Amino acid sequence: MATRTNNFVFWGLYIVAWLIFIGLSIEAGGLIVNFFFSLYRPEFVQNLYQKLDLTEMYNDSRLAFFGVYSFILTISILKACLFYTVIRLMHKMDLSKPFSTFVARQLSLISYYTLSIGLLSFIARQLVKNLMHHGFVADNLNHFWADSQAFILMGAIIYIIATIFKKGVEIQNENDLTV
Amino acid sequence: MPIIVNLDVMMAKRKMSLNELSEKVGLTLSNLSILKTGKAKAIRFSTLEAICKVLECQPGDILEYADKEQKTTNQ
Repeated sequence: MATRTNNFVFWGLYIVAWLIFIGLSIEAGGLIVNFFFSLYRPEFVQNLYQKLDLTEMYNDSRLAFFGVYSFILTISILKACLFYTVIRLMHKMDLSKPFSTFVARQLSLISYYTLSIGLLSFIARQLVKNLMHHGFVADNLNHFWADSQAFILMGAIIYIIATIFKKGVEIQNENDLTV
Repeated sequence: MPIIVNLDVMMAKRKMSLNELSEKVGLTLSNLSILKTGKAKAIRFSTLEAICKVLECQPGDILEYADKEQKTTNQ
């Protein structure tokens, strides 16, 4: 009964992970397209992804605009990569034998992605705060890095779990090769 | 690894097959194969005792230490 419930929860989470991955991929794709448009057709800067308007920043300083936009783009791509890794892990993981080097490596990857997203979001938030002190308008950017601390905390926890998991796999391999 | 397993040599000396040894020692064929090919990371004293008993030999006849550098200079 418990196994059936676990399987149900697992497949439910798998579907949710797919949906989030599709959403994040669309967001990252939209932002990439916008980035190239802003390079060659600057008049599109006022109509960026999800009605993001960075015209003032673009006119004030190209460096600030491309700096902030690079952060937005990198974070959204990293988020998509994170969920792709989660999906690959859930797809290939054998629930009856979960302790394998593949799972350990994927968990480490997930922790690196999460920590990178958290740290980049934190740096970006500080950068935008500084830019706002210098008179740039960047109020509408908050939702891109609102949860930086949560990502850092989650990344740290996943990193610890991944390290323990890796050690566990090593011990299991050693045990398997003991005659 | 500098520890070499000479199980195949002892088995040849006693004219014993892997199947026969596996039956007499009580180890699975796959585990014996792991030991024979040198993939094993550890061996239990109880396993070593059983192998030595069946092959009528000493642990030193099965296990050998060979330093990598010494080995290359000897060659």
